[in-house]
Amino acid sequence: IWCHLLALLIYTAVRKGPVQFSLPVSDPSRGPHFTGCRSREQETFRCWWSAGIFQNLTEPGALRVFYQTKNALLSEWQECPDYTHTVKNECYFNKTFTHIWTSYCIQLRSVRENITYDETCFTVENIVHPDPPIGLNWTLLNVSRSGLHFDILVRWAPPPSADVQMGWMSLVYQVQYRVRNASHWEMLDLESGTQQSIYGLHTDKEYEVRVRCKMSAFDNFGEFSDSILVHVAQIPSKESTFPTMLVLIFGVIGLVILLVLLIFSQQQRLMVIFLPPIPAPKIKGIDPELLKNGKLDQLNSLLSSQDMYKPDFYHEDPWVEFIQLDLDDPPEKNESSDTQHRLGLSRSGSSHVLNFKSDDDSGRASCYDPEIPNPEDLASLLPGHSGRGDNHPLVSRSISSIPDLGVQQTSEVEETPIQTQPAVPSWVNMDFYAQVSDFTPAGGVVLSPGQLNSSPEKKKEEENEKKIQFQLVSDGAYTSENTARQLSTEVPPSPGPEQGYQTFPTQAVEGNLWNGEYLVSTSDSQIPYLLPEAPPAPILPPVSDYTVVQEVDAQHSLLLNPPSLQPAICPHSPNKHLPAMPTMPMGYLTPDLLGNLTP
Amino acid sequence: MGLSVPAVAVLLVALLCLDPHGRVGSAPICAHGPSGCHVPSLADLFDRVIQHSARMHSLSNDLHSEFEQYFLPSKNHIGKIYRKCHTSNILTPNGKENAQKLAREELTEVILKLLMAWRDPLFQLHQSMAHQQDFNSFSSNKALEMGDMAHELRKGVEKVAEKMRVLGMLGNSVTGLSAAEAMLPLSDSGEAMSDYELLYCFRRDSNKVQNYLKILKCRIVPEHDC
Repeated sequence: IWCHLLALLIYTAVRKGPVQFSLPVSDPSRGPHFTGCRSREQETFRCWWSAGIFQNLTEPGALRVFYQTKNALLSEWQECPDYTHTVKNECYFNKTFTHIWTSYCIQLRSVRENITYDETCFTVENIVHPDPPIGLNWTLLNVSRSGLHFDILVRWAPPPSADVQMGWMSLVYQVQYRVRNASHWEMLDLESGTQQSIYGLHTDKEYEVRVRCKMSAFDNFGEFSDSILVHVAQIPSKESTFPTMLVLIFGVIGLVILLVLLIFSQQQRLMVIFLPPIPAPKIKGIDPELLKNGKLDQLNSLLSSQDMYKPDFYHEDPWVEFIQLDLDDPPEKNESSDTQHRLGLSRSGSSHVLNFKSDDDSGRASCYDPEIPNPEDLASLLPGHSGRGDNHPLVSRSISSIPDLGVQQTSEVEETPIQTQPAVPSWVNMDFYAQVSDFTPAGGVVLSPGQLNSSPEKKKEEENEKKIQFQLVSDGAYTSENTARQLSTEVPPSPGPEQGYQTFPTQAVEGNLWNGEYLVSTSDSQIPYLLPEAPPAPILPPVSDYTVVQEVDAQHSLLLNPPSLQPAICPHSPNKHLPAMPTMPMGYLTPDLLGNLTP
Repeated sequence: MGLSVPAVAVLLVALLCLDPHGRVGSAPICAHGPSGCHVPSLADLFDRVIQHSARMHSLSNDLHSEFEQYFLPSKNHIGKIYRKCHTSNILTPNGKENAQKLAREELTEVILKLLMAWRDPLFQLHQSMAHQQDFNSFSSNKALEMGDMAHELRKGVEKVAEKMRVLGMLGNSVTGLSAAEAMLPLSDSGEAMSDYELLYCFRRDSNKVQNYLKILKCRIVPEHDC
C-alpha cells in the first residue's frame, strides 16, 4: 500500500499534458500539418490534418497520409487505409490496421509535389482518450441538522466504447462540480469505481456536476460528460443560530463576572504587582509618623537627639544667646577706664543678663517684640561696664527698627555720647536687626540711632536734655521712614537721669579691642549729641552694619574686621550726618562662636 | 539369493500393512482446518496477479515519466522515435482481438516469456540507477521494487499456470521456460540499452502483461460476460 501510494504521488506530481499531439487544434499559421491523432477505445484511431495557409491544397486528395509501423518487421510506407468521407481531413485506422504497442509514423505528403509537409510518430496506447462516462446521476445521502449542508452520491457508467469488462481498458474517473455558473470547478480525486460521494454542499445553491475518465497509468483524459444539476431546497429552521448566540453571551457574561470577582478578591496582591509602593523617605531613628503628626516639642526632642540637627536656638529669645553678658564678674574698679568714669556706668544690673524675653515663645525673634527690654538692660550690656574684659560681643539681633550704627574703628577713639530717651513703645517699631553701637557703663546697650534706648539710670549726664533722636539710618534693611519719623517725633521726656551714651571706640585706649558694632547716632540734624561732661567724644567713624569677627583676644573681646573708613562723626554737628553705611560685614556671629566667647 | 520365504513374506506383509496412502508427498498446509486457511480459487489468483501487474505497470509509468520530465525536457512530438526493445523478438499479439484469438497456452507462455525476459534487465536498471548521481534514492528504490515485482509476478503467473494445468484448463503444451529464454537487453547495434530505453520498453511490456492477463482471465474464468 505504501508503494502504491508513493507511485500515485509521483504520478500526480509529474503529470503532464497529453503525451502526444493528440489535440485536434490546428495552427493556421503553418503549412499543412497534422492536427492530432486520437484513439477512443484502444482499438482504432484517427488522425486529422490541416492544409494551413496553403489554401490551394484544401481540395481533397491533394494531401495524403502515409504511415509506417515500426516493429520488428521492416515495413514500407502505406497510405491511409481509410479517408473518412464524412469528416474532412481525417484518416481512420480500423481494428485491422491498429496495432497496439507499436510505433506508428505518419506523414503528410503532397503527392503532386512530392513534398512531405509533416511527420509524426506515436504509439497507440499513448493517444488513447476515452469517451466520457454515461448515465451520470445523483442521490441525496443526508442533510445536516442545521439544514444548511447536504451530501450526495454521484453515479455513472463507463463509456460503452471502452471494454472494461474484460479489462482491456482500466479506467479511472474524475468528478468535478461547481456552483452553477461559477468560474471555478472543484476537482475530486481519481476514482476507479463508478460512484463518488460529494460532501458539504450548500442547500439553496444549484450545483453542476460532471465526470471524465482516462486510462489508469496514462495521462490523457477524455472529454467531459454532460453536467447534471444538483439542488436541494433548504428547510427553514428557526433554531439555527439562536442557541449559539445565547450560549456565547452567557459565556462572556460569566467570564466577566469571574474576572471581576478574581480582581476584587486579589485586589491587594494585584495592587502590589501592578503598582509597587514607592519607598518612603526615612530618617534614621525617626518615625515618619511622628514627623507627620507629632507635636513640636516631641519633634524638638527627637531632632535634638540627632547629631546633624541643632536645637533650635531661635526658640529661645535670640537676645539671650547672642547677647549673653556675664555680669557676675564685677569689673575691677581699679581697672575701670576713664571712659567708664566718664560714662559713670554703674554696676547695677550687672548681674542680670539681658533678658528680653519674658516667655518662651518661639516667635520672638521676628518682628515686633512686645517685651521691650529695658534700656538699662541694654545698657548693662555695654562693654564699658565691664570694660576690662567683659567685652561681650554684640551681635545685632533681629530687633525691629533698631537702626544701624556705625562701626567704629579701633584706631579711632571717639566717643560720641549719645543720649537717648527711653522710649518703650519705640521698641515696637524696631527693625528686625539692629546694631549695637555701644555699651553703657551700666550695661545697657546702645543701639544705632532711631531707637531710643533707655539708658541706665546711672548716667547722669542729662544736662542737655535733648532728645537724642537717632535717626534711623536709612538703610533699607533696617530702618524705615515711619520708624524714623516716629522715633524722631517721639520725644518723651527723658527721664531724669539722662544718660548719654558714648560710643565706645575705646579698645585702643583700654586695650579692649572691641570693634564691635556701635550704636552710632547717625542722624541728621536731629540728633543732638549729649555729652554731659565728657569732652566731645571722638567722632566715631561710621561703622558698617556687620563685621566679621576675626578673632577673640585673650580678654574675650572680639576682633572684628575693620570696616571701610568713614569720616568721623562729629557729635556736635548734628547737621552732619553719617554717610551711608558702609557695606555690610561679611560675617555673622553664630551662637557657636558666642559660646566660645562668653566667659 | 538366499532370501528365505519367511523373510520375503515378512517383507510383503510389511509392505502391504503399511499405509497404502503413505506415499511421500507434501501435505497441504490447509488440510486441517476448514476456516484456518482459505484456498484461493483460480479467479482469486487471477485477481491477485492482475492487481500485481497493474501496480507494476503504474510504477514503470511513473519512472518513465520522471525520466522524461527531468532528462528529456526537449520532448517534441516526434520524440517517440521507434526504439527496438530486446523483447521485440517475442511475438506478441498487438491487439485485443489478436490476443483473444490466441490460445490460452500460448498466451500464458507469452506472458511468462516476457516476464522472464525482464528479470535481468530490471536488475541492471536498478544497478545503473543506483550508481548514477542524477537519480535520487527514491527513483532507484522504485526501480528495485519494480524488479522485485516483476519477479513476484512471474512466480505468480507460474502458479496460476500450474493451477490451470491442474484444473485441466491448460494443455501440456506449456513448457517451462528455460534459462535460454532470458536474453540480454541489447539494442540493434549490440550496445547496452540506456536507462531511458529500458524504461520505455518495460513500460510497454508491463502494459502488455497486464492486458494479456486480463484477457486470459476473462477467457478462463468466465464472468461478466467477457
